[in-house]
Amino acid sequence: MPELSYREAVRDALSQAMRQDNDVFIMGEDIAEMGGSMGVTAGMVDEFGPERVRNTPISEMALAGAAIGAAVQGMRPVAEIMYEDFMTLASEQIVNQAAKHRYMSGGQIKVPVVFRTQGGAGWSPGAQHAQQLEAWFVHIPGLKVVFPSTPEDVRGLLWSSIYDDNPVVFFEHRTLYGIKGDVPEEIEPIPIGKARVHREGEDVTVIATGRMVHESLAAAAEAEKEGISVEVVDPRTLQPLDEETLVASVKKTNRAVVAHEAVTRMGFGAEVAAVLQYKAFDWLDAPIERVGARFTPIPFAPVMESFVIPHASTVLEAVYRTVNKKT
Amino acid sequence: MATEVKLPRLGQGMESGTIVKWLKSEGEQVQKGDALYELDTDKVTQEVEAEASGVLLKIAIPEGEVEVGKTIGFIGDAGENVAESPESDSASETASAVEQKRDVPAAATNGSSQGRVADAEPDDAAPQPESGGRVKASPLARRIARERGIDLSQVRGTGPDGRVVAEDVERAEAQPALAAQAAAPAGEVESRPLSNTRKTIARRLTQAWTVPAFQLTVDADMTRANQVVARQRELNPDVRITVTDLLTKVCAQALMRHRDVNVQYTEDALLVFPNADIGIAVAAPQGLVVPVVRAAEQRSVAQIAAVRADLVSRARDGKLRSEDIEGGTFTISNLGMYEVDQFIAVLNPPQASILAVGATRDQVVPLDGELHVLPLMTLTLTCDHRAVDGATGADFLRTVKAFLELPGLAL
Amino acid sequence: MAKVEAKTTLAKGDLQDVLREMLLIRRFEEKVEERFRAGELPGFLHVAIGQEACAVGVCRALEEGDVIASTHRAHGHTLAKGTHPNELMAELYGKQEGCSHGYGGSMHLYDVERGNIGANAVVGGGLPQITGAALAFQMRGEPRVAVAFFGDGATNIGTFHEALNLAQLWKVPAVFVLEDNKWAESTPELQHSPIRDLSDRAKAFGMKTMKVDGQDVEAVYKTARQALEYARSGKGPVFVHVDCVRLHGHYIGDPQVYRDKDEARKLAETRDPITLLRTKLGVSDEDFEEMDAEVTEIVEASVEFSKNGTDPAPEDALKNVYA
Repeated sequence: MPELSYREAVRDALSQAMRQDNDVFIMGEDIAEMGGSMGVTAGMVDEFGPERVRNTPISEMALAGAAIGAAVQGMRPVAEIMYEDFMTLASEQIVNQAAKHRYMSGGQIKVPVVFRTQGGAGWSPGAQHAQQLEAWFVHIPGLKVVFPSTPEDVRGLLWSSIYDDNPVVFFEHRTLYGIKGDVPEEIEPIPIGKARVHREGEDVTVIATGRMVHESLAAAAEAEKEGISVEVVDPRTLQPLDEETLVASVKKTNRAVVAHEAVTRMGFGAEVAAVLQYKAFDWLDAPIERVGARFTPIPFAPVMESFVIPHASTVLEAVYRTVNKKT
Repeated sequence: MATEVKLPRLGQGMESGTIVKWLKSEGEQVQKGDALYELDTDKVTQEVEAEASGVLLKIAIPEGEVEVGKTIGFIGDAGENVAESPESDSASETASAVEQKRDVPAAATNGSSQGRVADAEPDDAAPQPESGGRVKASPLARRIARERGIDLSQVRGTGPDGRVVAEDVERAEAQPALAAQAAAPAGEVESRPLSNTRKTIARRLTQAWTVPAFQLTVDADMTRANQVVARQRELNPDVRITVTDLLTKVCAQALMRHRDVNVQYTEDALLVFPNADIGIAVAAPQGLVVPVVRAAEQRSVAQIAAVRADLVSRARDGKLRSEDIEGGTFTISNLGMYEVDQFIAVLNPPQASILAVGATRDQVVPLDGELHVLPLMTLTLTCDHRAVDGATGADFLRTVKAFLELPGLAL
Repeated sequence: MAKVEAKTTLAKGDLQDVLREMLLIRRFEEKVEERFRAGELPGFLHVAIGQEACAVGVCRALEEGDVIASTHRAHGHTLAKGTHPNELMAELYGKQEGCSHGYGGSMHLYDVERGNIGANAVVGGGLPQITGAALAFQMRGEPRVAVAFFGDGATNIGTFHEALNLAQLWKVPAVFVLEDNKWAESTPELQHSPIRDLSDRAKAFGMKTMKVDGQDVEAVYKTARQALEYARSGKGPVFVHVDCVRLHGHYIGDPQVYRDKDEARKLAETRDPITLLRTKLGVSDEDFEEMDAEVTEIVEASVEFSKNGTDPAPEDALKNVYA
């Protein structure tokens, strides 16, 4: 099996789609010659030209809105919003327009657009370049939200997102761009709305997204040494959520921890916990734990930043609490 | 035909307005577009124009608050008569119906927001379960306890804050005595006063001990019976059907076939009972009690299970009524869950027989020259020889065994 | 509405049609006001009384395949682009027969088959998407133009500036039609813009601008034709600054406490586009009344149609969220 980095996997999905389909094109800030602030689109302007790899001025509203307008006319644009924090600027178009056209028109319109963005703390970017905002977008009916954590997943899911007829908010995680992983020879589209079990276990289920998938796997390895068997599941798609897989896992283990890098309070994990509590109530042997960032903006100083965001150790502590292990 | 002047809806959400004063008088000529009256809404005071030309025949409401859509006046030809009371206000109905539809969701939101909000930051302490008379137990522990008829208050919890977790319930089920005894201080002889139940047990069983009794033992191959129980569980997911339930049904059917075992000895006569009222021995916290499943031969296994579960849970809670334990023509005592292989039960007077049942365990059994591993359960029947002879008892027991090994015969 | 062959100017026969069309829109809007006051129409509504010439003048100039996006004041554009009054009225009544099948209402009118890609309740919300639609036409090499309608209030919002900037940068075939009625809700232009000529805003992006009197439907048509041709030929987007008049309030029921009553009345007398065209064509009272009776009948029929329409089932609310 070939090996690709997460970054290369994104590029590969975009490139292959663009090769076979003239309706697919990408637009964003600095994506052409510079190849994107994260190097994701490096080299693509050489292959596809500046018409289909379009640099835009720093205007997130126009960028998002133009992508939407082109999508309504039947193209399949992939708009890159450089930092997840700037989704705030593009939100009016994504939330008020893209998410609602199909509904408000009574089914006349399709908006097959993808908004790709990346975020993530851990490198002292400061509060305005480090947010994880998936909770806002899963709350908007009409949007699909995808958040893959491995090269194979990001490639297969980006492909599916491009070819989904709905607006998709596609989150990548900054710290994952360099990780390498096996990918299938040919792109295998991964269905939107399907979770993935990374590691099977018997005692507690950890449901994790983005960077926290990898932190949770590390925590699981540690827990194993203490005789605690941890199952790690990545929902991969946040909206629609694969409730079936998550609930089945918790019914098996009777304990759940939900882990994300985003602020815990009122986060995506809260919704997952509510679903689990409702559907697996009689199977729960412990309260559902949530792991996430503390309720602060992301601080600059590394020691403070590290205190605020979650790590493998945070997940491990949560796991211990569910099995009532005295630490 | 006169035109009704109705209070218009001048803005989204407007339900009523206040007429300040009319700018035209009754009998005065008005043109469409003339300012007709002054209206106060919660946003502004404004003049409202006439929507028709003619004579202002009548001012129905000279001033004050009026609902949107209500008729406030009439414009028409001079000399026309107008009705004293305004027509039905269909427009206001529509408006208020539209308003009501929007009100409903708000009410629902208010209701649900009264629920408690748990604070669960990972760095805060874990949420405290409610205390104050309530047993702290996880949902899973509760379910297991419920299904197996275990009294949660008797289970020691090892979870945080003394919470009972699933493991604790399972442990308690295996060793109920130990769980209860854990509280006793070491090294002191405890003197427990006799409960009424205990006194009754002592009295009655001493009496039973004087009865000439004999015992018969047989092993039954439970292969088919286990399948039936499993199948019944699938068919009836709401009730946890057990082997005891099947056994109850089987004994009841057997008793109907062997009516001379469904009897009681009295000095004057042998009483023969029409129904199989099967008592089931239950280890309740206060001691042994035997609630009765009436007319068990007429009930299905699932029905028996439901009745039994109810009786057992009430027995465990100490809530049996006298009608639950009176009567009874036969008793089953099942110590299989305690891994007892075989035992002899003491008669439950005035009943003439009692069936003691042990655990089902795999045994190696020679059949036709080959060794087979079969799940065998040992049944021991104790009978009052004054009422039931050996052959009669043996015949009955043989039927019970046959029914267990081929449940189709009994169901 | 019969689509006549679009030429650079309107012939006299066409002008009769145009008068009729504007009068239809006028009567439609008046009926909407009436039905709203009677409590029959849910939500809130914004009528375009006084701005009919802009809607009709521009829409008549469009070719097959051109698309429009409108604002919260969309009834005129929607009718002028070809949606039948029955479907529009039914939408205002919230019926399934409505052009958005009851899902959108007055501010979310869509008629995709007829090239109407949506009215927008967010000021300036549709502008970047028009840039995007024009981009698609350009990338695919289609001879189509995307046209946005918006008001003077929208020239202050971020999407306006971003959309025009991007459109001009990429020279997409778009026409941005500013319906400058000098009011942003209750705020007069003097209070919302520090400059007097809003065309300067488009000039700031290097965009071609054209100006026209919005109450003169012929002039609007002519200017629109020029703008569309320019954009369609690939020279880039055009900003068409239409000077028009909003004769009524911002929303139905708006008592316009902020507006000088005499000013409003004077405008009604001198700047009504229907009166102006009628006078220009010399239409007799009789002929006008006949035309009026015709269009009034159509409008009243649309109300009947709507009242007899089908309410969506409550559960229909769950459909159309996702494709």
